Amino acid sequence: MRRYAKYAFIMFVAILSSLGCARQDDNVINIGAAGPMTGDQSKMGMDLKNAVELAVAEWNEKGGVLGKKIVMLAGDDQADPKQAVSIANKFINQKAVALVGHWNSSCSIPASKYYNDSNMVMISPATTNPQLTLQGFKNVFRVCGTDDQQGRIAAEFVLKTLRPKKIAIIHDKTAYGQGLADYFKKAIGDKAEVVYYGGIIQRDPDYKAVLTTIKENKPELYFFGGIYPEAGRLVRQAKEIGMNIPMMTGDGVFDPTFISIAGKAAEGTYVTFGKEPAGLASAQSFIQKYKARYGDPGPYSIYAYDAANIILTAIKETGSTDGARIAEYVSKTTFHGAFGDISFDTNGDVTKAPYVVWQVKDGKFQQIQ
Amino acid sequence: MFSQQLINGLALGAVYALIALGYTMVYGILQLINFAHGEVYMLGAYLGIIVLGLLTAAGLPAYSLALTLFLTVLVSMFFCAAYGAAIERVAYRPLRKAVKLAPLISAVGMSIILQNFVMLAQGKEYKNLSPLFPSEGFTVFGANVSPVQAFILSASILLMIVLNLFIAKTRIGKAMRATSQDRVMAGLVGININQVISVTFMIGSALAAVAGVMVTLYYGVAHFFMGYLAGIKAFTAAVLGGIGSIPGAMLGGFMLGLIENFGASYVSSVYKDAFAFLILIITLIIRPSGLLGQKSLDKG
Repeated sequence: MRRYAKYAFIMFVAILSSLGCARQDDNVINIGAAGPMTGDQSKMGMDLKNAVELAVAEWNEKGGVLGKKIVMLAGDDQADPKQAVSIANKFINQKAVALVGHWNSSCSIPASKYYNDSNMVMISPATTNPQLTLQGFKNVFRVCGTDDQQGRIAAEFVLKTLRPKKIAIIHDKTAYGQGLADYFKKAIGDKAEVVYYGGIIQRDPDYKAVLTTIKENKPELYFFGGIYPEAGRLVRQAKEIGMNIPMMTGDGVFDPTFISIAGKAAEGTYVTFGKEPAGLASAQSFIQKYKARYGDPGPYSIYAYDAANIILTAIKETGSTDGARIAEYVSKTTFHGAFGDISFDTNGDVTKAPYVVWQVKDGKFQQIQ
Repeated sequence: MFSQQLINGLALGAVYALIALGYTMVYGILQLINFAHGEVYMLGAYLGIIVLGLLTAAGLPAYSLALTLFLTVLVSMFFCAAYGAAIERVAYRPLRKAVKLAPLISAVGMSIILQNFVMLAQGKEYKNLSPLFPSEGFTVFGANVSPVQAFILSASILLMIVLNLFIAKTRIGKAMRATSQDRVMAGLVGININQVISVTFMIGSALAAVAGVMVTLYYGVAHFFMGYLAGIKAFTAAVLGGIGSIPGAMLGGFMLGLIENFGASYVSSVYKDAFAFLILIITLIIRPSGLLGQKSLDKG
């Protein structure tokens, strides 16, 4: 028994000392960056973290904000809602002022309550599920568009350009994927017949069973609400069972990894996403700096960069680290970001959400509209 | 539709069957459930990607796809066989005379070690493999058979025939059968038990390696956690067919693949994983020793 008491004591000391390490330094301003940094969506989280890191480094070179150094805290939510909530609590304990994140809708929505309740400002660069900003939280914003806009634009494009009579719809059962699929279905209405609607299991390697069922219903197009690892496997396996119809999908698939998983099978896939930033004059400096540090920017890097800059500008202009004051400033101001001018409506959504349709051609995403 | 699902299910089942063989062979000889076996399959997948990468850098696939595949499978089999023998030597042999639970716990520990080893050495991200085979296949009875599926089915059936011949005809195969019937008696008549057990682990692991390479070719992804679910499913297949029985593992593997596919297509794709385990429970209630398993005479 005494032996156990000794171990228990050592554990106790170890826990105490680790708590000691987490104590606050008052001379810095903490900004969180959260997203899936490990697992199959890890590239998205790293793109986000890198962009925030770049923005923070630029501000620190100019002397920080309010005379204090800015520290970025990285939080890996593993695309898991439970993990996202624990990251939120971690940031709150570390007295972070604001957060850029999360990436997944299923993480942002549950975590947003915690940030809002503890007066942190949250700006998501990528969460497109409309629910996020409909909860009445004053401190929650996003710099990307929403899935109802995206679903509508995808449906309009499909009905106007491709004119299919029969459509199949699949989703990955997440807040983002199923949400997007539902908005698409609603926007299609009765203008085309939906011959299949159903979910798939994320991380399941084999989708041939569901694809074969879809093929049997002879749709002319299938829509997928979900993220690129599943989308890559879907188009690849669809071609393998001889299903030669195009896939239409959303911004979660917009990443070169999709093409590298699917190979030639990716050709012809339609994706809704924001406009190409490479053509924007305001984005040039960001793209160059990002490239020099981390290689090619990811699809959401520029959104995360703008989100971080909005937060830091608001802290500087209000001269405060109070979440409510920062949020009020953010909601009333037009920011000149790398992606153009950004302003927010009363919900915390961007006032203009320019989705366009892209298509995979010759192994690359190309804007076609 | 039916024929297409049949092909899909058989290809998936072939993979389960290859992994299940490793479980069943080890169980037949040691009455041990080797929970680290799923990780050997995962190692096979990673080795496959590494070897394919090296061969692609050397420009071999453009020259001969068949030779590339052959070399990839062979190297992966070789390394996994070494892993299998080493796992047995390190984690199970010292515990062979210990209480029955000890090697089981050691197996779970081994599984965790291997998973974390691969995670640290290769990273937490998914490894992607661009398609090596053309995706357009040929049509049989209205079903599209892709070249990868044809490769998986033919290679696994060939391997199973070779395995059966090996166990039925060769000296070491005979020794394996003798050891599985009565380990002590086999030792008394001069069979080198340690050697037989090592060979069993090596064969099982080499088969898992082939399954790992096939799956990466088939789906184009591998990750350090893939051995867990595949291992449990293959174990299910082995129990379904009757654990300890080699034809049982093959039957169980194919049945599991078919059940999953038909369940996902005719009932619901969301509950795909549940069908396998549902069938397992029903089988165990009706026939506790599995489909082809013999009633255990209770060895202890």
